[in-house]
Amino acid sequence: MEFVRRYETGAGWCPDNRGMAQQTASTAVEQSPSERPQRSPWLGFLLRRTVRLVVSLFALITFAFLIIHLVPGDPVRKALGLNASPELVSSIRAELGFDLPLWQQYLKYLGDLFSGNLGVSLASRLPVGETIGNLLPNTLLLAVIAFVVVMVIAVPLGMLMAVLTQNGRRRGVELSFTTVSIVVSAIPEFLLAVGLVYLFAVTNPWFPIAGMDGPASFVLPVAALALGPIAAMSRIVRVEALAVLGLDFIRTARAKRLPAWRIYLRHALPNALTATLTLSGLLLSGLVAGTVLVETIFAWPGLGPSLVSSILDNDYPLVQAIVLVYGGLVLLINFVVDILLGLADPRSTIKET
Amino acid sequence: MSSLEFRNLTVTFGRGEKTVVAVDAVSLVVPDRTVVGLVGESGSGKSTLARAAVGLVDARSGDILVDGQPATTGRRRRGGLQMVFQDPYSSLDPRMSIGASIAEALPSDVRRAERRGAVAELLEQVGLDPLLAPRMPSGLSGGQRQRIALARALAAEPAVLIADEITSALDVSVQGQVLNLLREVQRGLAMSVLFISHNLATVCYLSDIVAVMERGRIVEIGPTEQIVADPQHPYTRELLESAPRLGEKIDPEQLAVPD
Amino acid sequence: MSTTDIAEKMVDRAAARAGTGRGGLLRRLATSPLGMAALLVDLLLLLLVVFGPMIWGAAAEEFDVDNMNSPPTDGHLFGTDSLGRDILLRVLVATRLSIGLALGATAIGAVIGLLLGAIPAVAGPRVGRAVVAVVNVAVAFPGLLLALFFASIFGASPSGAMLALGVAFAPGFARLTQTLTAGVVGRDYVSAARVIGVGRLRIIGRHLLPNVADTLVVNISLSAGGALLAFAGLSFLGLGVQAPSYDWGRMLFDGLDGIYVNPAAALAPGLAIVLAGLALNLTGEVGAQLVGRRVGSARLPAKPATGAATSVADGPDGSPGADDLVLDLRGLTVSFPRGRGEKSVPVRGVDLRIARGEAVGILGESGSGKSLTAMSVARLVPDPARVDVQSLTFEGRDLSANTSRELRRMLGTTMSVVFQDLMSSFNPVMKVGRQLAEVATEHQGIGRRAALDRAIGRLRSVSISRAEQRALQYPHELSGGMRQRAMIAMGLMGSPTLLIADEPTTALDATVQRRVLQLIAGVRAAEQSALLLISHDVAVVAAMCDRILVMYAGRVVEDIPVDDLLAGPRHPYSRALLAAVPTIQTDRSQSLRTIEGRPPQPADYPIGCAFAERCAFASEKCQQDPVLEPIDNGSVACWHPQQGPVPGVVIDSPAVVSRQRATTATAGPVMPSHEPSRTRERGR
Ligand SMILES: Nc1ncnc2c1ncn2[C@@H]1O[C@H](COP(=O)(O)OP(=O)(O)OP(=O)(O)O)[C@@H](O)[C@H]1O
Ligand code: SF4
Ligand SMILES: [Mg+2]
Repeated sequence: MEFVRRYETGAGWCPDNRGMAQQTASTAVEQSPSERPQRSPWLGFLLRRTVRLVVSLFALITFAFLIIHLVPGDPVRKALGLNASPELVSSIRAELGFDLPLWQQYLKYLGDLFSGNLGVSLASRLPVGETIGNLLPNTLLLAVIAFVVVMVIAVPLGMLMAVLTQNGRRRGVELSFTTVSIVVSAIPEFLLAVGLVYLFAVTNPWFPIAGMDGPASFVLPVAALALGPIAAMSRIVRVEALAVLGLDFIRTARAKRLPAWRIYLRHALPNALTATLTLSGLLLSGLVAGTVLVETIFAWPGLGPSLVSSILDNDYPLVQAIVLVYGGLVLLINFVVDILLGLADPRSTIKET
Repeated sequence: MSSLEFRNLTVTFGRGEKTVVAVDAVSLVVPDRTVVGLVGESGSGKSTLARAAVGLVDARSGDILVDGQPATTGRRRRGGLQMVFQDPYSSLDPRMSIGASIAEALPSDVRRAERRGAVAELLEQVGLDPLLAPRMPSGLSGGQRQRIALARALAAEPAVLIADEITSALDVSVQGQVLNLLREVQRGLAMSVLFISHNLATVCYLSDIVAVMERGRIVEIGPTEQIVADPQHPYTRELLESAPRLGEKIDPEQLAVPD
Repeated sequence: MSTTDIAEKMVDRAAARAGTGRGGLLRRLATSPLGMAALLVDLLLLLLVVFGPMIWGAAAEEFDVDNMNSPPTDGHLFGTDSLGRDILLRVLVATRLSIGLALGATAIGAVIGLLLGAIPAVAGPRVGRAVVAVVNVAVAFPGLLLALFFASIFGASPSGAMLALGVAFAPGFARLTQTLTAGVVGRDYVSAARVIGVGRLRIIGRHLLPNVADTLVVNISLSAGGALLAFAGLSFLGLGVQAPSYDWGRMLFDGLDGIYVNPAAALAPGLAIVLAGLALNLTGEVGAQLVGRRVGSARLPAKPATGAATSVADGPDGSPGADDLVLDLRGLTVSFPRGRGEKSVPVRGVDLRIARGEAVGILGESGSGKSLTAMSVARLVPDPARVDVQSLTFEGRDLSANTSRELRRMLGTTMSVVFQDLMSSFNPVMKVGRQLAEVATEHQGIGRRAALDRAIGRLRSVSISRAEQRALQYPHELSGGMRQRAMIAMGLMGSPTLLIADEPTTALDATVQRRVLQLIAGVRAAEQSALLLISHDVAVVAAMCDRILVMYAGRVVEDIPVDDLLAGPRHPYSRALLAAVPTIQTDRSQSLRTIEGRPPQPADYPIGCAFAERCAFASEKCQQDPVLEPIDNGSVACWHPQQGPVPGVVIDSPAVVSRQRATTATAGPVMPSHEPSRTRERGR
């Protein structure tokens, strides 16, 4: 699973937060916080994150704007095909504002964007905003349901596996769990989707093969999206939980002679969760990306098929808008995760300098 | 002649509101053939001073002079500053043989053919078997590693050696070996040494002059006997009183009555 | 030494123990069965890439007009496609394009990523920060999404998709490179190289790259697997390989249309993708495990496994004064399995008795088994260890039996453990007050509010100012000394009859150390509790304890009252240890006394006296195990016990000095002092 690798290489916005096992390094903060009155670092943290979000959004918008200008050749000619009349081409060029200097185009683009005007699709001649408004909710619904399914299954499963296989106990369980999880997480969602269609729609026609029509139609797409992440996520949760269980403060908790459930739930879990939270941000972003493929296979009325067809048709206004939507979603998800991390782990607000 | 002088050295970290003054207008002289000990608690700026001397951190203002000339780091020339670091487990490149680590520090005019011999000689000098040269550092003890680090520093034929907490990661029985070695080398080569430690006992044992650092400033400096016998600054006195002595008993602190 | 330094040292030591860096990655890969399997599949793929199109290229293009869209038959193992071409052959031939494009994308990503990642290390700080910031944002985007974004620029073609994917993978590589190099740049050996004057390029070439290469290679392999899948995805969407060319993704796309007629046409390329992806991923995974990047098995605390020896426990026997003992531990052995049925035994038969209110110190060098002994008493030894005792009695209760709820409660309130702080002994996400209060709510049945009040009271009693506020802060907001006080306050939540402190001040500065020691002494005085203090510092244990156990190589070699120790211990090791520690009073004109050599590792403890190799008094007889025999007021395990004050050791206490004078007449040498220049440490 790609999001796992990104996580492990320290991706994510608040990289230092991952892996509680690295917490020894955090002692660097203690210069002498002894007697100084503590000003809450929260406000600054929130502010920095907001500034970062805004800057990133601007970068994204600029990227989306540039797409059309980075395309080799004449984008309009490309979009309309070789046999479009020169008049049509030049009228579309004018409509897109291609006659203006680049910086004016940029300003116009920004202006349009903030007034909610996303332009008109070159292929369907429909307003892009409307298309997105119709399709986005379906995509979000799919991604969010898959996300919830992953979290609800993977986190308890990972914790359970950690407790069961603590230092070398139940080697067999550990081995089969890791093997299954490695194999399942190596199967990309579009292959899972094909396999699921074959098994549960073609061979055994239990679920609809395509379309969005009632609860049953959600089963296969959600399963295709969620299976891999469940495998990967539960593995990571297990490793993180094991790492947390090996930390010194767990020994302190044992020295207090707390009962086992209390050590696991009150001390280990919250600490393993910070890692899980970091991961869940990447996971949700990954799921959003995964919908593109899964929607295409299941003919889901979401944004994915439109993104693909707009790229194939060189329908740049639509491409630009969809890039903005997906990109914005990713940025937003990360922003929220960051804030949650700040809430869950009091050190993260201070750690970054 | 080999001496090191800090003149009004100031080092700061961070910018704006969060600026930390790590070294605050410090002036300190390490005279020829002398060991100057620098004590102070963690965070008092000892290591920053050392790192500034060898150019690992930039000074904000002030001068660092070696034999009266502005210190130039590196360039693989003789007569400069060298430093031995605290942590024996991170100061040697795990992917480089011991011999190569030491050879890297030899002045650039030492000819290729002579290098092997020079490395063997240095290993001898720090009490190690020259046959160790082709080996990798993994599997060596902390004491052995510190000896190698010392050999590497000596390879550059420095005028002044800075030893930053070189024994604090070592066991007591090994600590003595390394301290004895440093002393022997300093006397044998007539070097000047800036010896940094948070441990007053080792500093007093090794140094001719002791400087006491607190929160970025040198609060007291003088000949070792004088500092031990007649400390002037309250902080020096506190340090001396805190150092555990063999045979004393620690007085219990009166606990506040818990409610 | 600051806590940071110690923490780093521990991390480094762990890294050193993991023993990375020996043997080539490939060779180590090949030695694990899983890695073997992955390498085999890799080899097979390689053969297919090279020879596949040569052998079957033409056959895969042959139309079989009689068998269009046929399901699997004898002639066509996986059936045919809509033009009657053999699916199996096409899958085999498509290996080259599928893998080639994936590797191409990985290579593009790796090169761009490495360059981006190296910029912060090479360029100035300002440019570096900007690059880091951009990479940080980009890396949060899923690779496929980025690839789609870029595909809209580069167009729907194989080269376009490869470029798009490569660019999409770059941020991940850049980030990895940054993280890795930042880790290495902070190392002292890089600083040392800079001080020596090694040039920037040479530092990158000789010190940086070799130390990050393994991890990078492993990640490139993992990414190649990811790129393969992603590329198949792009082709599948119609954005990658275009007909008449074909790769697995394209075949899957074509096959999906006919899934009702011939499912094999979709499943066969799918299977190929999974297998190849799995092989590449597995190579990376196994490599990663070997490089030791991941947490394989963590060291975990758990209750001691009480072994066979327990069954022969004779329980609290009727030995004189047994009632006055807080703790009675006999025949403690701790061992670790070392694989292949072997084990190392770092603690070998330790007896420990502590009287009510007595302060006992354990003194010894690193690795002598001090901590394991103390943690065995507290039943907190990490799990792979096997703890065997003949008997372990605390407050008259047998601890070697299983824990009952009631026993746990008793331990929770009467035995407290103070760990070396290192910041990590407190739960970082729980407020300090609550961590203390937990003891009371759990064991004393007090409500949360009342428990918090009690916690605040205890914090106040250990002289923490503004205790109400401190209780509501998180551990990282307290200074090191304050955390150690809070830790002691935690032990005071009950009424401890035994306080176990493992190096409670090692990470602290001298002035803070003294105050913490005073506090522990105060607790002892106020609670009348016994103390088990572990330290490697003679002065500290001597200042705090009544009696001292000296440990060497997993055994107690001497058990002696403090005053006798100062007056001159009997065991040569104790004497050498005492002489080796410089104090402010140490004569500066003399070399320090040293103990040559180093302590043996648990895996190779010798037969006979473990100190013999370093001992000046060793004789033939010392090849037999010396046993702990009573002598004077203590006991010693040595065939040739010494006596008299240790020369060169200056003692402050008048009582001891007078005792020393009394024995001066018989004083012998500590140990012949060695000239360091003549010493040679032997390499292993
Ligand atoms: N998890 C483990 N696996 C294998 N060996 C171990 C493990 N933990 C400890 N040991 C070994 O047990 C021996 C004694 O360890 P212990 O921690 O008791 O020493 P110590 O005297 O407290 O040392 P220090 O002064 O460094 O704290 C050491 O040699 C160590 O190598
Ligand atoms: S038993 Fe022998 S070798 Fe061991 S300490 Fe005594 S005299 Fe030395
Ligand atoms: Mg220990």
